Amino acid sequence: MPDVQALVGDFALKLKRRKVEGSHASARQTAELLRSVVSQQRLPHAGQAAVLIDAVRAVGEQLIAANPVELAVGNIIRRVLHIIREEDLSSTTTAMEGLGLSADSDDDNAGDHEDRPALSAAAVAAAARSALRAPSLHTLLEDIPESAAVPHASSSGGDSEGKSKSADKSLKSRKLKHDVIEAINELIQDIDTCHEQISEQAVEHIHQNEVILTLGRSRTVKEFLCAAKEKKRSFRVFVAEGAPRYQGHVLAKELVTKGLQTTIITDSAVFAMISRVNMVIVGAHAIMANGGVIAPVGLNMVALAARRHAVPFVVVAGSHKLCPLYPHNPEVLLNDLRSPADLLDFDEFSDCMDFASRGGSPLLHVVNPTFDYVPPNLVSLFITDTGGHNPSYMYRLIADYYSADDLVVKRRSTS
Amino acid sequence: MWRRSASFVLEKYQLPSSPMESPKSPQSPNPNPNPIPNLNSTHGISAYYQTRAEHHGVVTSDWLAQAQAAVEPPSPPSERTSPGSGKPFSVIEEFNYWRKKPDLAEAVAAIMALAAVIRSSNGTTMMELEIELKTASDALKKGDRSSISLSAGCDLFMRYVTRTSALEYEDFNAAKLRLIERAERFGEISLKARRTIAMLSQDFIFDGCTILVHGFSRVVLEILKLAASNRKLFRVFCTEGRPDRTGLRLSNELAALGIPVKLLIDSAVAYTMDEVDMIFVGADGVVESGGILNMMGTYQIALVAHSMNKPVYVAAESYKFARLYPLDQKDLEPAIRPIDFGVPIPSGVEVEECARDYTPPQYLTLLFTDLGVLTPSVVSDELIRLYL
Repeated sequence: MPDVQALVGDFALKLKRRKVEGSHASARQTAELLRSVVSQQRLPHAGQAAVLIDAVRAVGEQLIAANPVELAVGNIIRRVLHIIREEDLSSTTTAMEGLGLSADSDDDNAGDHEDRPALSAAAVAAAARSALRAPSLHTLLEDIPESAAVPHASSSGGDSEGKSKSADKSLKSRKLKHDVIEAINELIQDIDTCHEQISEQAVEHIHQNEVILTLGRSRTVKEFLCAAKEKKRSFRVFVAEGAPRYQGHVLAKELVTKGLQTTIITDSAVFAMISRVNMVIVGAHAIMANGGVIAPVGLNMVALAARRHAVPFVVVAGSHKLCPLYPHNPEVLLNDLRSPADLLDFDEFSDCMDFASRGGSPLLHVVNPTFDYVPPNLVSLFITDTGGHNPSYMYRLIADYYSADDLVVKRRSTS
Repeated sequence: MWRRSASFVLEKYQLPSSPMESPKSPQSPNPNPNPIPNLNSTHGISAYYQTRAEHHGVVTSDWLAQAQAAVEPPSPPSERTSPGSGKPFSVIEEFNYWRKKPDLAEAVAAIMALAAVIRSSNGTTMMELEIELKTASDALKKGDRSSISLSAGCDLFMRYVTRTSALEYEDFNAAKLRLIERAERFGEISLKARRTIAMLSQDFIFDGCTILVHGFSRVVLEILKLAASNRKLFRVFCTEGRPDRTGLRLSNELAALGIPVKLLIDSAVAYTMDEVDMIFVGADGVVESGGILNMMGTYQIALVAHSMNKPVYVAAESYKFARLYPLDQKDLEPAIRPIDFGVPIPSGVEVEECARDYTPPQYLTLLFTDLGVLTPSVVSDELIRLYL
């Protein structure tokens, strides 16, 4: 698959050079790339899911290594892996149920399985299902080799059935790919429509004559506020400009064209203004598994100010931003340091920052981090395309979207 | 609740003098029997904490004597109910035998004891087996009310048995063998759980960090061992852990691994808290709210850590999850452990002898379990999935 490899290489290079900006764009392009990978992957007759998973993992490892800070890429890769596992499981379950009925009559043929003649197909399917779920108390005492025997049973059971099933097999192989690609298309559609779905909930949260505070510019927040305006709510917006990129200015202009009364303030004025605000609504770069938020720089300060004055701090984010990892040093590991040119003019400060003088180490350092970590206890509500949730509920969404096996995306050396 | 009112002085005199069931042997460190009936004496000494102390290996001699006195098995009811069993089999003896092994977790000992019940059972149907197991498990729980992992382990095994019997094993003996095999493998599961937990927590220990540890948890020790073998640079503050002196024992083990250790007395925790980066504790039990039951002093440390914004990490295996929901400290079955102060206590002075406290979930940051890294709110979800 030479052209797929080229596509992957291209995308990885773009990620590395930070040419792809924003989690929405990264997520969408990753999903499309994985769709091409899946559709171009040739699958053997047995163990297809494993081959697919391996292929996606290999691509995923490359992409994550290119830009580890862009968590949306990793999220989509893990979503696709989860999709493959789920589709495989549902097709196996239907196949097992079909096989189970005929296996009872062909008991002599299934010679390898004398040790488990009495297990009904339902039990085996249940074991397979439990193997897919994250480990739980429910399955603590279960035997892991038992569930590993399930795919073995399905494949060799299929062989013993004879040639009549081989036609079913090739149908099944096409079906798995087809199912996976359909599911990935749904995922892409979800990513595209997340803004609409979030904006639909705007009218429940923004009430008449409220004052909303936001920082910088988030597309989700903009659409959220505009949707509330469409529904004839009248409210005011304070926009903190969001140094050093000053995206707040852009957002203010957009809101004014929609007819919203807007006030621009500097980031330092947030604490002074927060007591006059009813609610803070912000976007996020990523939401971690403990409910913590990786957000544009300055939002930790806004969250602390909101907590201090008991103002609800609401984060709006699409579900592709939901990451199953726990942050253990987010300020350092999940942060990008941008060019100091945003902060300082090189002309004036060139002598302070000169690496040639003073033995190669200048006295003036300029640090320009991109992100901030907001701990979960400062967040009041998450609004995602599935609805509004508590920060302590995030683990539930993660269990729905991701499998426990995929937390570390590394290609296994043995297949 | 009434104990907390100011009228406690009057009330104590009005309480009916409860029969002194507590095995206060004559060698007790409290030589003068209190004229005021000690409220705690209605509960026996907690066998669980005695065993833990024995494991720690640093006990006082008269304490051991009390331990012997307390751990006599009452007449086991399981003997009478299993029909036609000629040999005297005591599930409690079996349990005590397993529990004394220092490396075995409490729940593992319980499940080994229940496996022995299955092995010695003469029933011929799953229902009979289940009834025998239920009786044995009730006997175990009654024998030591204070141990959370014991009851959680028993409940877990009972759920597993009832579910497995639904798997329509045609042959009863095959089913029985399978149950015994799974129960005996549980020890392996427990060890595997410890290793999983150790692996999950590695990322949270960074180079140059200072870890505060309270109590002697085998899981936390495993975590620190793995971090040391991964060549991470960190140092550990151990609290002394009165009255069991857990800190001494733990510092022995850590010094043997070459980890820099500093011992603190329990009162010095707040003093050193600003140098600390994170706190690691084990748990005797994890309750439904997501809080933990652990050695006395854990709540205190968690409060101090919370006020100084330090993360508190709990390492607990998943079989310690229990269906309890304590609302305050006194809601629990008190686990009594007599404390040896080294000098005779004057008469009329009471001693708070409870060995454990309850730390509410809002003071805990994360729980490391073999089910993954969890926030405290996930615990009830897991319990619901198992029990309902």
